[in-house]
Amino acid sequence: MKLWQRIFLSSLCLIIVAVNVISIVLLNNSHKLIIEREQSHAIKEYEYFAASFANSAVYERLRSEKIILSEAEINQIGSSIVSSRPNGQPAAVYTYDKEVIALSNLPELFSLTEFNRFIAGINMTADSYSIRVFNCAGVRYMAVCSTLRVEDKVYLLMTASDVSEIYTLRDRQTDFIRKVGIISAAVISLILLVTVILLLRPLSRLNTYTKAIAGGNYKIRIRKKGSREFRELADNMNIMADSIQSNAARLEKIAEDRQTFIANLAHEMKTPLTSILGFADLLRIKKNVSDRERVEYAGTIVEETKRLRSLSGKLMELIALGGTETEKKPVSIPEMIKDTESALTPILQKNSVSLSAWSEDIMISADEELFKSLLYNIIENAVKASAIGQEINIRAGMSDGNVVIAVTDHGIGMSPEDAKKVFEPFYMVDKSRSRKAGGAGLGLALCVKIAELHNAILTIDSKLGEGTTVYIIISGEERL
Amino acid sequence: MINILIIEDDRNIAKMIKATLSIVNYNGTCCYDGKSGVHEAMKGMYDLILLDIMLPEMNGFEVMDAIKNCGTPVIFLTAMQDVADKVKGLRLGAEDYIVKPFEALELLARIDVVLRRSNKTQNIITYGTLSVDISSHIITDSGVPVQLTPKEFDVIVYFLQHQDIAVSRERLLSNIWGYEFEGESRTVDIHVQQVRRKLGLKDKLITIPKLGYRLESQDKT
Repeated sequence: MKLWQRIFLSSLCLIIVAVNVISIVLLNNSHKLIIEREQSHAIKEYEYFAASFANSAVYERLRSEKIILSEAEINQIGSSIVSSRPNGQPAAVYTYDKEVIALSNLPELFSLTEFNRFIAGINMTADSYSIRVFNCAGVRYMAVCSTLRVEDKVYLLMTASDVSEIYTLRDRQTDFIRKVGIISAAVISLILLVTVILLLRPLSRLNTYTKAIAGGNYKIRIRKKGSREFRELADNMNIMADSIQSNAARLEKIAEDRQTFIANLAHEMKTPLTSILGFADLLRIKKNVSDRERVEYAGTIVEETKRLRSLSGKLMELIALGGTETEKKPVSIPEMIKDTESALTPILQKNSVSLSAWSEDIMISADEELFKSLLYNIIENAVKASAIGQEINIRAGMSDGNVVIAVTDHGIGMSPEDAKKVFEPFYMVDKSRSRKAGGAGLGLALCVKIAELHNAILTIDSKLGEGTTVYIIISGEERL
Repeated sequence: MINILIIEDDRNIAKMIKATLSIVNYNGTCCYDGKSGVHEAMKGMYDLILLDIMLPEMNGFEVMDAIKNCGTPVIFLTAMQDVADKVKGLRLGAEDYIVKPFEALELLARIDVVLRRSNKTQNIITYGTLSVDISSHIITDSGVPVQLTPKEFDVIVYFLQHQDIAVSRERLLSNIWGYEFEGESRTVDIHVQQVRRKLGLKDKLITIPKLGYRLESQDKT
């Protein structure tokens, strides 16, 4: 069963039961009060009847100047008293032995056996009343019965009055309450239903929203509505969706990068393989291969094999970087630049490019070999971009609390589009030029990895035809 | 003379394709980017275009789109093995699709199929006293018809189209029988022996140890 149905049905049951119990209790209470009032009224009436019987007997005795009235005379008095009851209300006089002396207006269907039982219940010695309600042919009578001593004889007297009205009133009230109960239950249930549904509506909204998130739609956010608990829940769910979305996006980006990396790697491997396989196959199947052709074919095979070797070397470096822990120790930036410079001397001389370096005396915590290879790669790129006779400038110093090393060349530069992509693996600004120089397009990707390990970032600033500056920005925390 | 345009940005691959084409006497012209490739193709003097997909500036699909009106058949060359790319290339109207890296003879075989489809190969090949009519499946030696089984006919035609090239048994199997299965290479040997005997090519169709067979060209002897 659904939550709203449960809440609705249980509240409805409770309300209906409570209303009914209260009205029944109230009704019974008021009915009892009326009955009590009617009883005291009936007793008064009885007393009046009994007194008039006794008085009549005394008066008759005095009038006839007898000492004792005969039984017939008393019977006579009884009959006249009984018949003079106001409004024709029933009354009766019996002897002590329960023989009827006088009787008036008693309905014919007055059940005798029941009456006898009533009479039998009367304590004949005590001066008490017995009160009872009889149902007779649809009319209810309240009967009061007691004993009376007249002229040394005990008589049994009874008066009865019609109390049907009280019971009809009660029945009418019960009926009325039932009707009111049904109508109010209907109204209450309607109001309750609307309230419950309105209160629980945010829950179903949250539910559809959660389903949507589960279904992979991480973009949607729920509106904050409803009671405080629901607003809080909506808030937390939105926070959850935020983190799911950012995580999913991050994972997607990683998967996408990896996919691109593999596709590029496959392409970079297949290109030299195509030349190698093609030329090797030609050497194998051709009947006559001239010396010139042989040198050309085999030369290309060697060249392309070297390209593959460089690619696999760089790949191994990348993989190794991903797995190893760096061994950081205090190193001096000016010294590292000097070391890198001397390592680059052959390349600098070959390309007739000069290098000028200036550095503040800064010590940082770094893996010396890795950091030197980062510098080496970046300066080597600068050399490749430079023309004969140009100069490369290296400056290192503090800026905004960070350690910054800038490598500037005045070479060919590149377009903003190229500058944006240049850190991507396998991206080469000029493919044929880069490949001739033995590049695999992985150098800067390696640099980015090394920079990451040193809490540093790389940025590039380049203008086509004017030159390029690469900045290595190392977080100030690494400074010693 | 068959003229083939090679649009390929890697110079070594372009050079290799050109050299491969030269062994069957096809003339190859190289373009190293999409734009000049389109410009060259528009001249309309080519029988076939070999088109790389990963090209700088203008990729192979864009080139294909630009040149499809000149009616020259196109074979895509690509390092990508993606089925989606293959479908895209073929839907754009390419005749075939070769995945890098490829063997020289595979390239030639694919080119042959496309050229034959566009009726650009010779239908009659002569070799010494032999004359072979490929379309009517008739072979005559000095005007006298020679009876060959269909497979034997295919074998001699393949050798005639690839003179002076060492052809492996596997290559013959996959080109003529249509499957690659080393255990069946005896089938190849039997057919080659039959062809040799029936056409008197004992000195010309020679066995190359560990590799296969080669039909020596006529003019060099």
